[in-house]
This record gives sequence, structure tokens and C-alpha cells, in this order.
Amino acid sequence: MTENTRRLFLKVVTSIPIVGGAVLAASILIRFFKPTAIGGVKGLVAPPDEAGSSIQIVAALSELTEPWDFKEFIYIRKSVEYSSRKIQGAKIPGFVVRMPDEFTNPLDPKSKFVVVQRICPHLGCTFNFVKSPEELAGGYNYKPPAPTHPYFACPCHLSVYDPTRKTEVNLQGLLPGKVVSGPAPRPPRTMSFDIKDGQIVITGTEGGGVG
Amino acid sequence: MVSGLAHLFRGLLQAPATFLAWFRERWAKMDLFDESHVEEARTNPWYSLGGMWYWVWILVILSGVVLMIYYIPVTDQAYHSIERIQQNWRWGPFPIGSLVRGLHKYGADAFIILATMRVYRMWFSGEYKQGNEFSFMIALLLLIIGMYSGLTGYLLIWNQRALWATKVMATFPTYLDQNPGWIPGGTLINWTNQGKTTAQILLGGTSIGPATVTRFYAFHFMLSFIPMIFFELRVYRRGFKRMNINHWAKLATFAVILAIAIMIPAAQGSPANPEVTPNPILSDWYFLAMYHFLKLQDPYLATVLTVAIPFLVLTAMFLDRRPEREWGKRQIFNWIGIGGLVYFIAFSFLILNGIADLHRDAPIWYFSMGGFLLVGYVQDWAYVMKRDGKRWYETFHLFFVAFILVCMSANTLYHYFGDIREWNVLGKAEMPKVLAQLQLTHPLATSDQAYEWLEKNRPGLNLWLTSHKGPNKPAGLELWVVHVIAWLGILASGALVGLTRWGRRKDAELAALAAKAKAKTARA
Repeated sequence: MTENTRRLFLKVVTSIPIVGGAVLAASILIRFFKPTAIGGVKGLVAPPDEAGSSIQIVAALSELTEPWDFKEFIYIRKSVEYSSRKIQGAKIPGFVVRMPDEFTNPLDPKSKFVVVQRICPHLGCTFNFVKSPEELAGGYNYKPPAPTHPYFACPCHLSVYDPTRKTEVNLQGLLPGKVVSGPAPRPPRTMSFDIKDGQIVITGTEGGGVG
Repeated sequence: MVSGLAHLFRGLLQAPATFLAWFRERWAKMDLFDESHVEEARTNPWYSLGGMWYWVWILVILSGVVLMIYYIPVTDQAYHSIERIQQNWRWGPFPIGSLVRGLHKYGADAFIILATMRVYRMWFSGEYKQGNEFSFMIALLLLIIGMYSGLTGYLLIWNQRALWATKVMATFPTYLDQNPGWIPGGTLINWTNQGKTTAQILLGGTSIGPATVTRFYAFHFMLSFIPMIFFELRVYRRGFKRMNINHWAKLATFAVILAIAIMIPAAQGSPANPEVTPNPILSDWYFLAMYHFLKLQDPYLATVLTVAIPFLVLTAMFLDRRPEREWGKRQIFNWIGIGGLVYFIAFSFLILNGIADLHRDAPIWYFSMGGFLLVGYVQDWAYVMKRDGKRWYETFHLFFVAFILVCMSANTLYHYFGDIREWNVLGKAEMPKVLAQLQLTHPLATSDQAYEWLEKNRPGLNLWLTSHKGPNKPAGLELWVVHVIAWLGILASGALVGLTRWGRRKDAELAALAAKAKAKTARA
């Protein structure tokens, strides 16, 4: 090994902590690119969008009396924002669907309804509630088996969800909207809801996804 | 083997010095706009691509600066400001705004076309060899920067296509938080939410809104200007001529772009509406193939692959170590290039015609990709045997071809007989019969229950998972075990043989050097 190599090796070894220090200093600046700045250790590990839990009425039961009646709505999710407003309202589109009786539990009034965020868990497009099997086959590449019923279907990458079937999702339990076609990895994200005074009230949303 | 390890150890010790020398040589040779191909450019139009590319870049920047004066980067005014540029900015009968916008848009398209053609020229003629790696890297990087500049640029129009393309692009990074545990560092990335944070840094919040438009406006500007500043600094220090084309060629390029802008005014689409995703919804033309690729993949894999494709191209470049630049002597890399082109065209065609079936198509594409590589390997194998006068088992290609064959068989088996119920063609064919049987007794039986019945009672249908305790199969012959053993065996034996040969060659090199030095001293 020559003298030159040794010198270079020492240079490289000493430059590592210097570069590290520079990166640390720059990280303070880069932190402010992050829109939802939370301080401390929590800021390092917490999911950056802390979904707010505001309550919002989205539908009346009288609108959803027949099986497969549905309503689309927009839920405003509030989260922290690094701006003068301090708060950001993300519009989360949602669906509430009245399920036919054979898929419901008569003891549980909430099981009559499937309430989901309309943000496709694949890559975030807004999916549709498709009633006609011809449209499903033509537009979404999925031929539903008989007896057919409506499906959720996303126009971007043609994921199709079956609202009558459930899938187990990590930490979330059984969720409605099993993926029956397309690349989506899981059922749609959920919204927690209550039925109060003949109205459906959203009490919170599952985090993740881009509104 | 032992001498190979010794050489490896010595090489590692000298790595910083070697790397510095390597880097300096390439930095000196780096070619930005084909400025070192002035002579070739006079006779061969392929070598004037670099000059044209720089010229188009200038046109796009100039028209962009003009558009910046009239454009309003606010969500509720962006679309209308574009409309005003397009319709109201006139000089007598001449729609000046429409022309400037057309110049910007079609100029950007031309930038991407020229950059792609230049990357392909360098790839097919092996120009990245003989110390020119950095020229190829810069060309590829500029192509990617051009594509991202396009992506950040068309959100600014604030139309439907822009909104949904941005949404898809911003949702990508969130999958990086779903690394499986066996990936080193994956858990740390998941735990610190790096993916979600990246998405929010891009968007300036949890959703696409005013902050997103501002950020994308800034990115759009930066992506063009920062490389330009670095390029100009290099031009200033080295004092070379930027464009190796004459004024007529510049005028012709400008005229073609202007003619297209006059004949087809740049489209504007319908204003963005976050509540309705139109069906079908497509991205700009250069992302179409990628967009189709997403339909055929598990999204985590698709995200990782999309990020990895440029790195894979660079890796492939460094694997092409031979000095030969002739077409017939580097067939593997030709086939990689041809494959890229074929898939780009085929996927764009398929997505435009709405043809996509995850279950039917994906294995066909994987298999054909493996087929492309295999053809290249076999051709290259034949060439190497002829060149070195060796038998087939004496060449290193044995390992590559074996690896590709095992990968292809694993892929096929997984897709057709795997544990994903709806992909398993054998199980899928049986399922309706079982469902009909079940529905005789239980009218509400579902296909899920039919699949469960099949898995319990006919484990032979699922070759991938159930052979271990299946009634007809001996334990220890599971397919995945066979594949993993084959992979590890190929890798280990390839590494062993390669290291031994490399060590022997290094020994011979050192011996030759020593002999030369000895002869010199003897003469003295």
C-alpha cells in the first residue's frame, strides 16, 4: 500500500463525520418541507397525517330505504398543516350503501350500511358505484358471477370491490369490499359511523391515502 | 478461489483510490450534448440529437418564461388563466398565446422524444463503454428529469388528467411504508413513515390543493433550471460549442414544433374535479406504458419496480464489461433495449384500447420478458464459445441461462398453480362445479367457501403450497424449496467459479508484470 492510498483512506474516514454533521444541519431545513410538522420523537415515527375526528352528518335514513340505495358524500377531514392556518381540510369522498337484507345481521342496525372512503386503496383515484354488469364488463374488465349485484369499481387501474364480501386487514379487522379484480391490495379504507336521530353520522376515518 | 479472495481483499483496501481515479477519468470524458461528436454529426443525423435536444430545451424554457407571466398558480384560477392564454391572447388574427403554449407543450414532447432516441442510440451503439459511463448516465437522468418536469407541468393546467395523474404519482410513495420484514432497513422505513412523509412533502399536505400547485410550480421550474445551470458552468469552463447543428437545423426543428402547434392547438381537457374520476382516465403519452404496467402488478412491487427501472438500466450498463461495441457481439444488451421499446409500444397500445386482465396477462408478459433475455443469452453464449474456442460448459453463460430458466419456471408455476385463488387456473376451473354442489345444500354458499372446500379436499390443485403434507406427495419436495435451492446453488457455484477464474487471471497479470520488471532490471 502506498503513502498516497493511506492518506486518501484517512481523508475518506475523517470526511464521514463531517458529511454526517452537514446532513444533520440540513435536516433542520428539510424538516420544514414536511407540511405537518410534529415535534420530538413523535414527529419521527407518527404518521404525518393525524386524522382529525370531527363529526359530520352525511345522510338521512329516509334516503336509503331500498336495497342498494346509495349516497355519495364529501367528508372534511381536518389535519395539522405547517402554515398560518395551522389546519388543513382534506376532502374525503365517501359512499354509504344500503345493503340487501340477506347480507345484514338483524340484531345490528349498523350492519345494514356499508360506509367506505371512495379513495381507491391502490393509487388513490375516486372509485364509482357501478350497478350494471354490462358497464362492469365493458369499462372495468370484470364479468360478475350470477346472481349479479352492484360493485365498487375504480376507473384508473380497474380494481373492483365486492361490497357483500369481507376481507381481513391487518389491525383493522374484517372490512367490507373484498377485491375481486384488479391490482388493489386491500378493501377500501373505512369510516367509523353512528346512526343518530335517523341520520348517518361519520365520527372518524381510517388514516393513510391521499385525499 | 483462495487467490481470488486475496485479490478481492487487496482490491477493497485500495478501493477509495481506485474509485477516485475511475471517477476523474469519466468526469473528464463526460459528454453533455454530443459536443464530442461534431464530426459525426455532419454526416450522421443520429449524432445531432444532442444538439437538437439542447436547442429544444432552450425553446421550452423561453416559452415557459413567457407563459409564467400570464399563468396564475392558484387552484381556482389556474384553469381559467390557461383558457385566457389559449383564447384571449391574440394579435389580430394570430392566436399568440395558443402558439406559445403549443411551443412549450410540443417542445417538451420533442425534448422527451429526442432524449429517448439519444438514450437508445447510446445503448445500441455501446457508447457508454470505454470510460463514457457518465455520458449515458446524464442522458438517462435528463430523460427522467424531462418526464418528471412533464408530470409537474401538467398539474399546473389543473384539468382532470393532471389531477388524477398527480394523485397516482403521490400515492406511490405510501407503498414504501409497507416493506416486508425481510428487507434490510425496511422496518425502520415503515416505522418512521418515510413513504407517507414523502407523499406529503410532494403535495404540501394530505391532499391535492393550493399548496400542491405552488410546490409543483416550483419543482417544474427547478427541474429545468438547475441542470441547465450545471451544464452552463461546464460549458463555460471547457469552452465547447453547445450545439453541434447548423442554423438551418435549428430553424427546421423550430418550424416543425411551431407547425404542430398551429395545426393541433395544445389540448386543455376539462377542469379538475376531485369528486369524479372519468372512465377511462389516462396519463400523458410517455407514462402510458408505465400506467399499464401498474395494472399488472401488486402495487408494492409496482412501486419498487418503477423506482428501480432506471437503476436496473444503469446496473445493466455496468454489467456490459466487454470492450466490443459491434452489434453482433453484445446481443444480451441489444435484446434488453429492443424489449424496452417493444413493451413501451405494446403497453401503450393495450392501455389505449382498454385491454388489461391481471390474471390472464401478467404471466404472459413476465414470461416474454424472460424469453427476450434468454434469446439474448443464448446468442451471446454462441458468440463467446466461438470467440474463445471453448465448450459450452466452460463459459460463464451457463449460470445466467440456468438462473433465467429457474426464474421463468418459478414465475409460471406461481401464476398458474399458486396460492392466489383466482390466479390458480386449475382451481378456478374446478370451483364452479363445487359451488354448484354446495349450493344444493346451502343456497347462500359463496365462491370463497367453494375454494376453501377445494383447498381442504383437493390439495393437489395447488402445487405451490400444499404438497408438504398432501396425501400423494412425499414431504420435502415443495416447489418453492426446489426453486430456492436451485437459485442459491446457481448463485453460489457461479460466485465460486467466477472468483476462482478472476483470481487466476489476476495472478497471471501480476506474474506478467513481475516478469516484465525482471526483464527490465536484467537488461539494466
